[in-house]
Amino acid sequence: MRVRKISWNEPAGWHPSVDRSRADLVFYFGTRRALANGSRYRELAAMFPDAHVVGCSTGGQIHGDDVTDEEITAVALQFDATKVRMISEVVTGTAQSRACGEKIGTRLLADDLSGVMVLSDGLNVNGSELVGGITDVIGPSVPLTGGLAGDGAEFAETLVGADCAPRSHLVVAVGFYGAAIRLGHGSAGGWDVFGPRRRITRSKGNVLFELDGQPALDLYEKYLGDEASGLPGSALLFPLQIYETEQPDHAVVRTVLAIDGDARSMTFAGGVPEQWTAQLMRGNFDRLAARAGEAARQAGAGRIAADGDAVAILVSCIGRRLLMGQRVTEELEAAAAELGPGIERLGFYSYGEIAPHAASGVCELHNQTMTVTVIGETSR
Amino acid sequence: MVGTLFAKQLSKSTQPSGDVDLVRLGGLVTSAYEETDRDRRRTDRAIALMIGELEQLNRGLENLVVERTTELRAQNSRFDEALNNMSQGLTMFDAQARLLVCNRRYMEMYRVSAEVAKPGCSLRELLQQRIKAGTFSEDLEEFLPNFMAAIATGKAITNTVELVDGRVIVRAHRPMSHGGWVSTHEDITERWRAEKQVAHMACHDALTDLPNRILFREELETAIKRADRSGEHVAVLYLDLDHFKDVNDSLGHSFGDDLLRAVADRLRACLRASDTVARLGGDEFAVIQSAMDQPQAAATLASRICRSIKAPFEIGVHQVVVDVSIGVSIAPKDGVEPDELLKNADLALYGAKDAGRGTYRFFEPAMDAQVKLRRVVEVDLRNALVNNEFELHYQPIFDLDSATICSYEALIRWHHPERGMILPADFIGICEEIGLIVPIGEWALRTACEQAAEWPENVKVAVNLSANQLAGEHVDLVIISALADSGIAPSRLELEITEAVLLRDSKATIGTLRRIHDLGVHIVLDDFGTGYSALSYLRSFPFDKIKIDRSFVKELQNSKESQAIVTAIASLAKSLGMASTAEGVETPEQLELVRKLGCGEAQGYLFSVPRTAGELSRMMSTLTAGAASAA
Repeated sequence: MRVRKISWNEPAGWHPSVDRSRADLVFYFGTRRALANGSRYRELAAMFPDAHVVGCSTGGQIHGDDVTDEEITAVALQFDATKVRMISEVVTGTAQSRACGEKIGTRLLADDLSGVMVLSDGLNVNGSELVGGITDVIGPSVPLTGGLAGDGAEFAETLVGADCAPRSHLVVAVGFYGAAIRLGHGSAGGWDVFGPRRRITRSKGNVLFELDGQPALDLYEKYLGDEASGLPGSALLFPLQIYETEQPDHAVVRTVLAIDGDARSMTFAGGVPEQWTAQLMRGNFDRLAARAGEAARQAGAGRIAADGDAVAILVSCIGRRLLMGQRVTEELEAAAAELGPGIERLGFYSYGEIAPHAASGVCELHNQTMTVTVIGETSR
Repeated sequence: MVGTLFAKQLSKSTQPSGDVDLVRLGGLVTSAYEETDRDRRRTDRAIALMIGELEQLNRGLENLVVERTTELRAQNSRFDEALNNMSQGLTMFDAQARLLVCNRRYMEMYRVSAEVAKPGCSLRELLQQRIKAGTFSEDLEEFLPNFMAAIATGKAITNTVELVDGRVIVRAHRPMSHGGWVSTHEDITERWRAEKQVAHMACHDALTDLPNRILFREELETAIKRADRSGEHVAVLYLDLDHFKDVNDSLGHSFGDDLLRAVADRLRACLRASDTVARLGGDEFAVIQSAMDQPQAAATLASRICRSIKAPFEIGVHQVVVDVSIGVSIAPKDGVEPDELLKNADLALYGAKDAGRGTYRFFEPAMDAQVKLRRVVEVDLRNALVNNEFELHYQPIFDLDSATICSYEALIRWHHPERGMILPADFIGICEEIGLIVPIGEWALRTACEQAAEWPENVKVAVNLSANQLAGEHVDLVIISALADSGIAPSRLELEITEAVLLRDSKATIGTLRRIHDLGVHIVLDDFGTGYSALSYLRSFPFDKIKIDRSFVKELQNSKESQAIVTAIASLAKSLGMASTAEGVETPEQLELVRKLGCGEAQGYLFSVPRTAGELSRMMSTLTAGAASAA
């Protein structure tokens, strides 16, 4: 497998520039504004005419161990033995999320399917339902990673491109086939719960209305104080850990996508079932960075890189960036230290991360985590 | 890390020329500090809010604890109140048999003080106190290990005990899930007594307190089984008071009840402790006697009972003499089933009654046959009227002065399709018992009147009227109707009644007789001299005629006493203005005597056997002529 990483910025354009090169698959990530007009997609398609070109809008692009809002970051992969199939589905609303996932799973499914990467619209999809729909079809043993597209702290519109100019309401999935592909993955959070445990007393799907009989939005506004004006983005500073009350070991973290000031409700990237227990979380910079390193360690990059070129796609939560500010680079450095030199690293800050659960191995939607997917190919 | 951050800030502020953009660098550094400050403020605020929330929660919890404690106290107090007001005694013990709870009722029930029955007291100590109080009488050394072993099985135990003072307590012990057990003690003395009373009432006769038929049957079954093992024989004595109905009718039911109680007492006195006497209903009693020497033992007992009952009863101001008839059957000879033995004793009782009452009879297989025959007769009798099987025969009665036939007595005959001619003695009694006498009597009355209408006007017809007919409500209307239908004058009808008729409710009977007499119908007292022959009867009603019983006429030639009686009756009749008829005159000598002794009329085979209505017209002239010449 050969990896070519390139980037784009306003004054310089693409560098290094490429002229009709062979590749099977191109990933690219940029801000909504940078991607919206489709020019960057068309340029990439021209540079790599044989490749599937897939990408999405973000809350910041990861470029090595730095974060940038100005540059578009991209990588072209050329496989020796691995077959790649790309499919896309339009999702009209959150209610169709599971059905969309099932369709994707059905279209990708084959005996030699070895892994799937998904990039999804970040605002019109119930991520946990989408992931559930896919895994229902492909089964739990095929690794599924990826993330939900972002829109900075604006939460207005997210874009996904699948051999087309990036647009809203789209989900793209790439299937890797054959025995040669090497996929490593890891996922970790590092957030700490704090304050009282609360009961979800009213909710519907991924919309949370009440905690302990009080509007959930009241609680967030109280805790955010002045920063409440930055809702829904600022709500990412206090993620919500939820679990079925009898199963505290299976806790998941939920992150806010939208709020409704009239209904006093909050929409999360995944389901928030009634009667589950919820607890606010907050982040400590050092611990968040350390856990990002742990996610990279889980991905087992060293083993994969030993066989040849490898690339690490890092998908981290926008909430982590909002909290850590400039120091968010610390988590990228921690990941880089674990991944080691010689592995190209790129990725994006997302509205939701997709990776198998570190403990159960079952693929889930995560929030407020760093997820790392290492892609390589065996030479034998 | 901070160093790395600054290196990045520096790198971002360095232009391609290598010059450092200090303004940009300053901005990045300042914003990094601001981010850190913001996060610190955010953290402070979150911690303060969290502390506030936790404190509020804490206060809520404290309030909850206070509320719950108060509620718990109230609940405990209610629980205590409920526990102490239970009608049952209750105790609760832990797995080490130490008392946890004991309510007031338990202490009252077993006379144990609250000082002893307090939590921690052992079961042994509690029971020792009860032994002192006289409310526990079992051996502790035996009871305790058995009881604890029973509790250890984990199953509920319920038992009923009778205390020394007579109280009956139901004790229920139920093991608890964490070891230990809870016991309830309920005083069921009243209920127990009531149940015993009900059980007693269910199998005893309320009037005499003797066992009733149900218990008798059970006892008999037991006795039969026991006898089967011991080799004894069981005798069943079936008793029936003779003429008890007459006592009841004449002296009232209350008196009858007193008599039955007195009879029951005498029966008890006649028996051994091992014998059983029961009242089966009405005036029927039965005795079970098991003995090795049957039937002698039963015979001895039966005659003892007959003698005992025969002795006069003094009840209130009355003295009453009653007889008892007894039928005896003996197991296994006469049956091994209670019902069979009772039935056979009943059959033997009929035998005793037929033998003249006041005596006893042992069952014989022939009795069964008789009864079966009687059943057949009953069925046939019910059909006889419909099938027109009855016929009236007439026997003339002679007026001795005028030497003419003054009257014919109608006598009923039954032409049985298979058994031929049957005389009244063989079926009238049955008719009386099964209630057929009233329709048959009415038939006889109407038929006699119709046939008499064919005779000369100066010849009367005599018809027997039974007690049951006379007791009927409409007997006078029936007579009026029979007279009207036939067209004969009332004065040509003679109704013959016996003294027995007057024994029943004589006031009502005499009232009816008067109404009939007022119609112009003659009333004749039949068979005089055989029954009570009370002169008061003669005074109570103006009979038109007295018929002297054939038994006196039969003895007339050999018995001075009979002559004296016939003379007395004839002269008595004469002095009261009544006619007198001698019955059963069979010889010219008898005829001569009865004429000499003052009888105005005679009847008997000397003149004629009873004849059919058809024969009658031929006989009338020849007999009249023959008798006149003989006179």
